[in-house]
Amino acid sequence: MRQFTAFVAGLSQQLDKLAGLCIAGVMMLVVANVLMRSIFSRPILGTYELVGLLTAMGVGLALANCAFKKGHIAVGFIVDRFTPRIQAIIDVFIYSVTMGFWFLVACEVAEYANNMAENGMVSSTTQIPIYPFIYLLALGILGLSLVLLLMFLNSISKALPGFSLARLPWQSEWQDNTRKASR
Amino acid sequence: MSPLLTACIGIALFFALLFMRMPIAYAMALVGFIGFACLTSISTAFSMVAKQIVNTFSSYSLSVIAMFVWMGFLAYYSGIGSRLYLFAYRLIGHLPGGLAIATQAACAVFGAICGSNTATAATMGAIALPEMQKYQYDDSLATASVAAGGVLGVLIPPSVVFIVYGMATEQSIGKLFMAGILPGILLMLAYMLTIYILTSRNTELGPAGPRASWSERIAALKGGLGEVLVIFGLSIGGLFKGWFTPTEAGAVGAAGVLLVALMGKNLNWESLQKSLWDTTRTTAMIMLMIAGAMIFGRFMAISRLPFELASWAGGLDFPPYLIMAIILLIYLLLGCFIDALALVLLTIPIFYPVVVNTLGYDPIWFGVVVVMIVAMGVITPPVGMNVYIIKGVVPDIPLEVIFKGIWPFLIALVVCVIILMIFPQIALLLPDAFYH
Repeated sequence: MRQFTAFVAGLSQQLDKLAGLCIAGVMMLVVANVLMRSIFSRPILGTYELVGLLTAMGVGLALANCAFKKGHIAVGFIVDRFTPRIQAIIDVFIYSVTMGFWFLVACEVAEYANNMAENGMVSSTTQIPIYPFIYLLALGILGLSLVLLLMFLNSISKALPGFSLARLPWQSEWQDNTRKASR
Repeated sequence: MSPLLTACIGIALFFALLFMRMPIAYAMALVGFIGFACLTSISTAFSMVAKQIVNTFSSYSLSVIAMFVWMGFLAYYSGIGSRLYLFAYRLIGHLPGGLAIATQAACAVFGAICGSNTATAATMGAIALPEMQKYQYDDSLATASVAAGGVLGVLIPPSVVFIVYGMATEQSIGKLFMAGILPGILLMLAYMLTIYILTSRNTELGPAGPRASWSERIAALKGGLGEVLVIFGLSIGGLFKGWFTPTEAGAVGAAGVLLVALMGKNLNWESLQKSLWDTTRTTAMIMLMIAGAMIFGRFMAISRLPFELASWAGGLDFPPYLIMAIILLIYLLLGCFIDALALVLLTIPIFYPVVVNTLGYDPIWFGVVVVMIVAMGVITPPVGMNVYIIKGVVPDIPLEVIFKGIWPFLIALVVCVIILMIFPQIALLLPDAFYH
């Protein structure tokens, strides 16, 4: 389990770094295009579609780390009043449903990319194949479902005090990380 | 099961999941998927979800969000906020309540380069609260003034909520940004007046700080205001003039803040990285929420609930302003529980056709009013995001003390909304003058 935790944490951080590069890339590309257009009257060809594809990658790859750091907004003022055990039982339900949902969505997005690859779909101006970007987006959503799986296991260990995962060292380490992140 | 009944059950399920602490984006996407699947088929619903996610994430128009979010985080990490506060503080800090009044001015100007109320509240909270505590300001007034001042960040362009409203309703983001300027200034003045009245009646609430000399004031002017004016002028001015698309305005603004921060040696490698990671996290959160709202919106559209609601409201024998008042009351109540951005995304597909197509209100004006109403939610209990952020900055002050101080500011905000409803020209004056 410790290896799984380390794997999910490492994966979400690495994906987030790639996402950061994509966002920085979008900014540089757009500014370069503005400068080329205003100074030399020669805009960079395909900026519009490249910005879209880079943003898709940037957002998709950042989803897992955002979930790992509890960045997705939730309304907790009712559940927060319950005992930790009841909260954990509710979390088991929430994480199991959302984990399954996003896993299936990741598969569907990958299938969508497959169809694009088979049909040879390319961007209209620069003729770049679109499917690799969509595969990366599917990878990002898969990362999100992995983070939710980790949270699901963590909730089970809290909901069932005798459950062996609670005694494993990775859990307290992971809880510390999420507590730090939520601050 | 009829489509309308499915839609009503879907909305009830959404709220049930929401109050079970499921993240808003997940709940919207999941309920949208289930509802769509009930009315079509599971395979069609999965295909719709995949296409919506791909289309939303790869939208050029929505890439503007990442750019303005990064611009705000760069401003936060490079310390522009603290230099802005220093200028306002030296200018009016010697008046009773002057530090709290200065905070409002600094929040408004910081809002001109940052589109988020939470970032504005966090920045100004970290800077202004220690100063106000030093001069023995009342805890309630000090904390509440910063939490309320954060709302100015949403109204004064750039504003992420305006961008999302513009995308959802196909309205011009430039017009919406412009429409937010005067109401933002009005709200700032209303907050200042509130602080002035409170501290005039009880000077112990906000004792006067030391008076700065004119040379000190001019020196502080060089350290922040000039930079903000140049970046705001280039980025938002370029957008208003039609030189840039919104995405280009955001990218130019982010590049401008980065350049100014690097030239002034106010940003090191670590801060730059932090600004980028915060941007990816915030952008992912917002974009997933938009994708979720799009999926939910597709479910609502095929259930025909918005259209039925619009025709029902059109057939009512009530004056339009009464229907409008009921809708705004719903926003106010929901705003106490749901995040501003999520609320706009969730409700616009339902209420927009009623307000604009049936009742005939101006879509730009409606956008400004909705943003002001949902912004109340960030300072009202029980959710009040800005209040929790301020609580994080000063953990020793109880939440009740902060909420107690919020009331006068909330009244000021309500008064501004009423003024805006009576005089819609306040919002429409600049867009009408500029775009005609």
